[in-house]
Amino acid sequence: MNWKKFFIAFIAAWIFVFAFGFVWYGNLMHSIHNEVPTLWRTEADFGSHFRWLILGHGVMAFFLTLLYARFVTSRGAGAGAKLGIMVAFLYIGDNLITFAVQPLTTKILGGWIVGGLLEFAIAGAIVGAIYKPSSHTTT
Amino acid sequence: MKRFIVAFIAAYIFIFFWGWLLNGVLLKDVYAQTQNLWRPQSETMSLFHWIIIGQALLVLAFVMIYASGFAGGGVAAGIRLGIMLEIAAIGMRLVLYAVQPFPGKLIVYGSVSGLIEMIIVGAIVGAIYKPASRTTT
Repeated sequence: MNWKKFFIAFIAAWIFVFAFGFVWYGNLMHSIHNEVPTLWRTEADFGSHFRWLILGHGVMAFFLTLLYARFVTSRGAGAGAKLGIMVAFLYIGDNLITFAVQPLTTKILGGWIVGGLLEFAIAGAIVGAIYKPSSHTTT
Repeated sequence: MKRFIVAFIAAYIFIFFWGWLLNGVLLKDVYAQTQNLWRPQSETMSLFHWIIIGQALLVLAFVMIYASGFAGGGVAAGIRLGIMLEIAAIGMRLVLYAVQPFPGKLIVYGSVSGLIEMIIVGAIVGAIYKPASRTTT
């Protein structure tokens, strides 16, 4: 494991998923989310839980990077994006279940699905582009 | 391919019954404390097909990830993948906790049960799925 590259890839993925979440879910989908205001924390309450948002994104970015670094055999942005898309499908499955049990609108569900696919495909590509294994070639 | 399908079906059956036991029985009282966050039961029942499709997609993605990098490692590799994917899912749960007024204990219960669930799913998939036998030794 190339820890230096791993760390850089993880930080880059973390910054990306956090920024993407802010733009996509926090801004572009803001009015769509507000169609069901009872589902969300108030601004003040959200502010006091903000650290969980940062930590949650960090955990996701860390394990996406770990999965890629330890188990993806082919390398590069394409392989990273492919892994990201497969991981996104896990979350999309979860989104569909959430849609059945929480009063989300179909617009929210659609936004989460598209957002999840973009977010993890790009985060995976970033990880794939940055992470390179240590150079003891095994061919 | 045959083992892929068998692993998918076995893991799906487990996840379906685990979901029912956990959410429909064990955590029923916890959910009742946050009724404003959930659809009424009749409405959920009318959308039940989304639960089935969502669980199927989740299991399919799990088996695909396992087959693309973990296959050959057996039960231990499946469990390892299950743990990693569930911890990543806990990350997502923390993000949701920051934006939705879930009680903290629901996040804790969901995460612990999710970990157990994914460990078992990983063990099932790891025990059943084997890569096609084109030996490269």
